[in-house]
Amino acid sequence: MSARTAIRVAAIFSPGGKVTPKWFELNRRKHEIKDTTYFWRDRIGEVPLMHYAVSDGEALYELVYNTIDQTWSLNGLQSEQP
Amino acid sequence: MNAFFASVEQQANPELRNKPIAVVGGGGRTVITTSSYEARAKGVKTGMAIWEAKRVCPELIIVIGDNRKYTYTSTRINEIFRDYTPEVEAFSIDESWLDVTHSLSIFGSAETIAYQIKARIRHSFGITCSIGIAPNKLLAKLASDMQKPDGLTIIAPEDVSRVLERMPIKELCGIGRKMQRHLNMMSIYTCGELGRCDEARLTKKFGIIGTRLKLMGQGIDHSPVIQFGEEDEVKSVGHSRTLERDIDDPAEIRRFLLQLSEMVGSRARKYNVSGKTIHLYVRYADFYTSWGKQTSLKNYINQSDEIYKAVLSILATVELEQPVRLLGVCLSNLKHQAEQLPLFEDERKKLFATQAMDKINDRFGSMAVTFGSLVKDKAKSGSHVIPPSWRPDGIKNVDVK
Repeated sequence: MSARTAIRVAAIFSPGGKVTPKWFELNRRKHEIKDTTYFWRDRIGEVPLMHYAVSDGEALYELVYNTIDQTWSLNGLQSEQP
Repeated sequence: MNAFFASVEQQANPELRNKPIAVVGGGGRTVITTSSYEARAKGVKTGMAIWEAKRVCPELIIVIGDNRKYTYTSTRINEIFRDYTPEVEAFSIDESWLDVTHSLSIFGSAETIAYQIKARIRHSFGITCSIGIAPNKLLAKLASDMQKPDGLTIIAPEDVSRVLERMPIKELCGIGRKMQRHLNMMSIYTCGELGRCDEARLTKKFGIIGTRLKLMGQGIDHSPVIQFGEEDEVKSVGHSRTLERDIDDPAEIRRFLLQLSEMVGSRARKYNVSGKTIHLYVRYADFYTSWGKQTSLKNYINQSDEIYKAVLSILATVELEQPVRLLGVCLSNLKHQAEQLPLFEDERKKLFATQAMDKINDRFGSMAVTFGSLVKDKAKSGSHVIPPSWRPDGIKNVDVK
């Protein structure tokens, strides 16, 4: 899965600009985030993006927060490749 | 860092932890960029083709790397280093030198700093690193390579000659396979032998490098840690690209050259440099045959179309013998450009158009606006490989995809 899909995400915005995603909806199913395994930032032009590798206990997802549009997208599903 | 890209991927995906994994590029003709220690134990090596690596380790998991994850992590780790000393020199994406001489009164000892750095990197990113503590850069690099993964090696000044006595010369940073062969032919196999070798014999064979080699054998290195902002001025701006397949169609070759010229031009303009010498590099389909040719112009340029024209003029002087595997364009003989408006209307319009294009690309991402003939390959454009010269800041901070 590589295309970016806009999704609903619940996140806690803490002082200091820390954003912690808690759950997201995909295919009408709510996925509780059990673990954020990695975080990194990049930017497209002037738009800073925050990337979260998160696990719901079943699979690993990459959620991306666009800090200008304040939108979330599902960037991909990381999995082992044969 | 230890197996940097692989460690980051194992941290990001717990399913990959403690398993043999190899990180590869996203392109079609990719090789193993790095592999986990589990894979290395089975014989997987950097630079192997995927099929080759799978042959030595059938259970190998191939992971397509995400360069931005690595450049972000590297940048943050270098920021951690700067909490201990401003004298930090990034050597590559996963190696840096720190001169902590003036920080000892604050932190106590180099060993304390090393343990703190190791703990912070592990806490923040879950990855391990190996640190070498020594009186100079040459020995610190050697020490950091002596214990992997997760090592901390100290070479105290009084131990230098003992450590180097039996150390194979290939372990020294700066002695590659070719130099090793030359030195072996002179019956020099260890650093101890190199340090004792007659300097005249070394300089006769290697010229001025001979003196440096003898010093290296003795563990002497006077080169300072050069912090960001104090490096020598960048001498060139270049980009190269291995094509997805070998090409011999002149129109297609020209399109890739325009793309590379635009990448070189836009980076040169971003950092306000222009150059007089254009270099074209071509590697043929057989991988081993290549050539490079350059031309020097009367004027300094950084406009992509002018770079492209110069590249085409070089290409016109050569008859391509085989389909092309890799193309590279480089702008050198640089000077920092003073802003100067062209005298003639047409040139002024072109400059304003380029400036407008650069502004849009700065705002919306590279290649948001580009030449019409490049639109087709826009998604694949840009730099997909972290170059060895990549640095966290400045003109060497190539924006990789």
